[in-house]
Amino acid sequence: MKMRGRLLTVVVVLALGSALVAGCAQGKRGASDGTSAKPYRIGAVLSLTGTYAGLGTPEQNAIKLEAARINAAGGINGRLIEVFYEDDGTDPAKAVAAAARLIEQEDVLAIIGATGTGQTMAIRSEIARAGVPQVSMAGGSVVTDDFDPLVFQTPWPNRIVVPFTLKALKARGLTKIALISDTSGYGTDGHDIIVKEAAAAGIEVVAEQTLNPGDTDMTAQLTKIKGAAPDAILMWNAGKEAAIVAKNMQQLGMKTPLVGSPGNGRKEFIEGAGAAAEGFRFAAGKVLVPAAYGTDSEPYKVANDFITRYTKAYGTPPDIFAGHAYDAFLVVVDALGRVEGDVTPGSLRDAIEKTSGLVGIGGTFSYSATDHNGLTMEELVLYRVADKTWVLDQ
Amino acid sequence: MNSAELLQFVASGLQNGAVYALVALGFTLVYASTGIINFAQGEFFMLGGMLAVAGVRAGLPLPFAALASVVLTASIGLLFERVALRPRRDSGPTVLIIITIGGSMVMKSLARHAFGPNELSLPPFSPGVPIVFAGASIDRQVLWIWGLTIVAVVALTFLYSKTKLGRAMRACSLSHDAARLMGIDTARVVMISFGLAAALGALGGVAVAPLTQTAFDVGSRAGLKGFAAAILGGLGNPIAAVVGGLVLGLLESLSVAFISSTYKDAISLVVLLAVLFLRPQGLLGKSRREKV
Repeated sequence: MKMRGRLLTVVVVLALGSALVAGCAQGKRGASDGTSAKPYRIGAVLSLTGTYAGLGTPEQNAIKLEAARINAAGGINGRLIEVFYEDDGTDPAKAVAAAARLIEQEDVLAIIGATGTGQTMAIRSEIARAGVPQVSMAGGSVVTDDFDPLVFQTPWPNRIVVPFTLKALKARGLTKIALISDTSGYGTDGHDIIVKEAAAAGIEVVAEQTLNPGDTDMTAQLTKIKGAAPDAILMWNAGKEAAIVAKNMQQLGMKTPLVGSPGNGRKEFIEGAGAAAEGFRFAAGKVLVPAAYGTDSEPYKVANDFITRYTKAYGTPPDIFAGHAYDAFLVVVDALGRVEGDVTPGSLRDAIEKTSGLVGIGGTFSYSATDHNGLTMEELVLYRVADKTWVLDQ
Repeated sequence: MNSAELLQFVASGLQNGAVYALVALGFTLVYASTGIINFAQGEFFMLGGMLAVAGVRAGLPLPFAALASVVLTASIGLLFERVALRPRRDSGPTVLIIITIGGSMVMKSLARHAFGPNELSLPPFSPGVPIVFAGASIDRQVLWIWGLTIVAVVALTFLYSKTKLGRAMRACSLSHDAARLMGIDTARVVMISFGLAAALGALGGVAVAPLTQTAFDVGSRAGLKGFAAAILGGLGNPIAAVVGGLVLGLLESLSVAFISSTYKDAISLVVLLAVLFLRPQGLLGKSRREKV
């Protein structure tokens, strides 16, 4: 019995060993054909599960699509690009572990991510320790306001979107607003900026309510808001709770206009809220209705090309989150092509900071030593939901 | 605050509370027959909603899809007990509880792969404008949730007190060994209690999906709330689970009304802790004294 056990162990070890050797040989062969040099290694920390799963998944789709396109065209500087994906489960603690793994084990040159503001901020210590540049796809202002020379950002931060949205409200005569925001990093960031900016924009905040990611009924918060009789309700979050807010408002017979954040520009919101989504307004970039770019412009051509290829690959047009990921990947790839001399995390960071006039989906990016977002209000338009789709709200 | 607003807060609390109650009933059932906490209970809630959506997308009429989802989830519950738990039933409660945690992760991951990461919508059971009662408006789906909760509680009470199976289940909860000596097939009773618990969780998931949408990851929160409700009421009897659920729901909505929406979860947890300090057996639980 004991003898047989030992024999079995030997066989298993031999089998594993030969598999390993075969695997290594395969790996070598894979690297030697195509291009001679080693590929550039890029890490991506995405929320593929959890509250932001609906954001992280299109982000991954966009990066995969673009990486495949660039590699098919021969890569950058004759070297392919290899992307390593890690899921953070919409959990800041897991995001830290994911970033550490990418840095320690995969030896990446740069990290794209994270999806959410809380996760983006959480991985800073890892980024700083390794000196690796980070391009975030989260829209919290804190990502670039709390300045870190290593951290860049592709979405329009709240400090741009909030004043734009408040201006749009004022222009429509909606000056008394009730605020409902979620308790995530993004919602809290938006809440603070709205409260700070409201007075300057001629807007009065008459009620402030919060909701937790995962909440399933907001009638209690909305009943409080109803009592304050606002002209409009401003909602700042990026999860599935948005549809519940819209439906609960309909249930309570509230006719108050509902205005949201770019985080609500998802077709799942329209599906989930159904008839209650009609008339919902939010500010976001131009990718949802590309005609807003101006049909002869360079951004229109870039967006149209991306939309066509994305739709062909995944059967659905890209949303704003796919656009943020396209931009983040583009920023890194563009910088890789401009690095002079050795490509190291440090030289890549310097190249990213010199990004200038780079046309992406979310806007035209120009970074500087003091501005790591590089977008302005000009990139935003106001949308309205009409007949289950987005139209420009003129 | 006027009376219509107050009523609206109460309605909101009872709506969430009824869903918590359905999940809590599942915890109570499994606890009664096995003495363990089934941490996969929240995933049964998730499966209920997701499978119903899958049924509707496959072209089944809504009532049939909802029913099929509950039946299918119950079968998954039976299978889970038979395949994952029964082989290790002599390993003690700690091992079994850890197995249920593992089971919940497996179910969640499989659901993500099968249904994708996005939230999915289920049409309402009876579409129409909300019903206005004394100034408070109540969605028609909420009436379904309340109705189904009442039916579930009545059916369970009947099962427990009037049927042979129910008596066998109660006997198991008192002493497995004694029940087995009396000729009760305890393995079968345990398996059935898992099936029933899964069906109740699924019922909650199906009933609430038209209001809230559903996704592969709604199970952990539902499980947490249901568990809190079961503990608050007192593990062991169905009425206590329902009372625990409703009290928890009301606590949350009244926290929003009188204190702050930011702290509503914290407030309900503080009350839960306070109750456990003062009455460790829960609001309605009977204290179990060892008789020597």
